[in-house]
Amino acid sequence: MFFQQLINGLMLGSTYSLIAIGYTLVLGLLQMINLAHGDVFMIGAFLGLTFAYLGIPLYLSLILAMAGAGIMGILVERFCFRPLKKAHFLGPLVSTIAFGILLQNVGTQIWGSEPSRYPQTTEITQFHLGPVVVSSIQIIILITSLALVVGLDQFIRRTRMGRAMRATSEDQVNASLLGVDPDRVISFTFFSSGALAGVAGVLTALVYLQITPFIGIRQGLIGIVAMVIGGLGNVRGAMIAGLLLGIIEVMNDAYFTASYRDMIIFGIFFIFIVFKPEGLFGAVKKET
Amino acid sequence: MERKKMRVWMALPICILFLVLFISAPSSAQTIAGPEIRIGAALCISGHGANVGKREAIGAQAAVDAINAEGGVYGVPLKLYIEDTASNPQEAVNVVRKLVADHKILAIVGPHYSSEAEATFPLGNRLKIVQICVASSKPGLSAANRPYAFRNTLTEDKIGDAVVKEFKKRYNIKKVAIIADIKDAVSKSVGTGVLPAAYKANGIEVITGDSPVTFQTNDTQFMAQITKLKAMNPDGIGMGALGPDALNIITEARRQGMTQPFMSTAPIMEGEVPQLGGKAVEGTFSGTIWDRSDDSPKSKKFKEAYDKAVRIYPGEYTKLPDYYAVNAYDAVFMTIEAIKKKGVTNKPGDLEKDRAKVMEYFTTLRDFKGVASRGFNEVGDGIKDVIVFEIKRGQWAPVK
Repeated sequence: MFFQQLINGLMLGSTYSLIAIGYTLVLGLLQMINLAHGDVFMIGAFLGLTFAYLGIPLYLSLILAMAGAGIMGILVERFCFRPLKKAHFLGPLVSTIAFGILLQNVGTQIWGSEPSRYPQTTEITQFHLGPVVVSSIQIIILITSLALVVGLDQFIRRTRMGRAMRATSEDQVNASLLGVDPDRVISFTFFSSGALAGVAGVLTALVYLQITPFIGIRQGLIGIVAMVIGGLGNVRGAMIAGLLLGIIEVMNDAYFTASYRDMIIFGIFFIFIVFKPEGLFGAVKKET
Repeated sequence: MERKKMRVWMALPICILFLVLFISAPSSAQTIAGPEIRIGAALCISGHGANVGKREAIGAQAAVDAINAEGGVYGVPLKLYIEDTASNPQEAVNVVRKLVADHKILAIVGPHYSSEAEATFPLGNRLKIVQICVASSKPGLSAANRPYAFRNTLTEDKIGDAVVKEFKKRYNIKKVAIIADIKDAVSKSVGTGVLPAAYKANGIEVITGDSPVTFQTNDTQFMAQITKLKAMNPDGIGMGALGPDALNIITEARRQGMTQPFMSTAPIMEGEVPQLGGKAVEGTFSGTIWDRSDDSPKSKKFKEAYDKAVRIYPGEYTKLPDYYAVNAYDAVFMTIEAIKKKGVTNKPGDLEKDRAKVMEYFTTLRDFKGVASRGFNEVGDGIKDVIVFEIKRGQWAPVK
C-alpha cells in the first residue's frame, strides 16, 4: 500500500510542482510574486473542462488550455506589472490579488459557484505492476508534468531565449545593454508561467473529481509553499518541493487524520520561512 | 296497528335529524374563537443552516396554506409566525420568548439544531409551550425535557440500523470499512457512532474499528483514502458523508478498481448522487423517512402545497423540498389534530390551558397519519417508518 500511496502523492505533487514553477519563474525574473497565479491555474482547469465537454481529445485540450492560460499570464503582466513598474514595490502584489478576485468572479459567472464535474470521456484502464495499480490517467499526468518540467529546465539552460531570461533575471539593465529586450523576455516568462498553470489546471481537473472557481486559492497557496521550500527562483527546487508536498499530503491522509493536513503543510512552511528562508536547494541570488 | 306504523314512520325522520345533529355535534358545538389561530415557527432563516431552515419554514407554511384553503379550523384561519433563530442557540431562546409572549402562539414548530433545542427545550417547559423540533436528532434530548419537548424526527441510528440490515442481506456483507467526514457534525457521528454500532448489532466486523478513514467536507481528491480502503479489502464500505463528497468517494473508488458496494444514511440522499454519479454509484444503499420520489396521495398533496408556499423564500436552494420540510408540514397538521380532538378554544383567556391540551394530545399520539410521521414515543421522539433506498438506473429506488 505504501508504494500505491507514493504514486498517489507523486500524482498530486506533480500538479503542485507545475504551479510552484510558475511562481518561481516570475519571482526569479522580477523579484515579485504574482498572486493571481492560482486563479490563472483555475482558468486553465475550467478551459480543460470546457474542451472536454466539447469532445476535444485530451492532448489537444491540454495544448489549448496551455495557450489560453498562457495568454492570461501575459494579461496579468500587462495589467498588473507593467503599468506599476515605477510604483511602490507592493503595487503589483495588490494589483494581482485584485486580478485574481476578478478571475474568480468571471469564473463564477461563466461556470457557476457549484462544483463542476469532469466528464467521463476517457476510458480508464488499469495497469498492474506487481502490487501497485497505475491507471492510464495517472500515467498521463506523471508523464506530461515530468516532460514539461524537464523541457523547461533544458529550455532555460540551452536556448537563446533561456539565456536571455537568465540574463534579465540577473541584471535587467546590463541585459538590455547587451541587446536583450526585457519586455519581450518578461512577456515570454509570464506566458510560460501561465501555460504551466494551465496544464496543471487540466491535469488537476483529471485528478480531482470536481473543480470550482475557488480551487485556485488553496492550490495557489500550496504552490507558494512549494516555491519557498524549493528555494526562491529555483526551478528544479520548486519541482522537487511540489512533489514532496504532494507526498506529505497523501501520506497524512493515509496514516494520520485528514484534519492535520493543512496544519502540517503550513507548519512546514512556517518553519522554512523562519529558520531556512533560502529553502532546501538554495534561493537564486540576484547580483547587486 | 296502522297508527303505530305511522308513528314509527314519523319517528324515523326525527331520529335521523337527531342522529345528524349528534354526529356533527363536535364541529357545530365546538366553536373556535378569535380571528386566527396562531402557530409559531422558530427556524434558522439565516446563518449556516439557512437553506434547510427556509425549506422547513416553507413546509410549515405549505401546511398552513393547505388548511386555510379548506376553510381553516372550523372556519378560523391559521396564521404562521416565522421567527429567525439565525442558527444560534442564544437567538433561538430569544425567538421562543418572543413567540410565546408577543405573538401569543399556541405551539412552536422548531428549532432546527440540537444545540438550539438544548437551550430552548428547558425554557419551553418553564413557559409551558410545546416545541416540535424538525431536525435535531441527538439522542436523549427530548427525554431530558419532558413534558413539553417533542421532536418529529428519527435519529440517524434507527435509519442506520435499517439500512445495514438490507445492505447485509443484499450483498452478504461480513466485514466492512468506514470512511467519515470529520468536519461535518452529522457525518462524523454517523461514521464514528451510528454505523459502527449498527454493524456490530448485525454481526458485521468493522475493519476500521473506532477510527474510520477520514476526510474533510468538500475535499477535492480522495486518492489516499481510497487506496487505504482498498488495501483493507472489505465486503462493503460505510460512509459518514454528505452527498457531494459521497459521490466523489465512490467515483474515486471505481477509478482505483474497487467494485465493493457503498452505503450511508439520509444525508447522502441530498446532492443528486444518482444523477451525477452514473454507473459508478449504482447499487449504493441509503435510507430516509421520506424522499421526493414518494408518490403516495399524501406526499403528492404535500409537494403541491410546497410548490405554492415556496414563494415565501424563493431561490435555488428552496426549490425542492426535503424530509425536514415534511417534518415541519406534518408538525403543523399534528397541532391542528390536537386542536380538534382536545377542544382547544383559542380564547385569549384560555391560552395556557390550550397550550397544555396540545402537549397532552402529543403525549399519547401514536397513530397519526401524516406524510411521514406517526406521532411521538414515550420520550417525545418521532415515530416514523424508515424506507431503505438503493441507486438503480440513475435514481433512488426503494429496496424490495
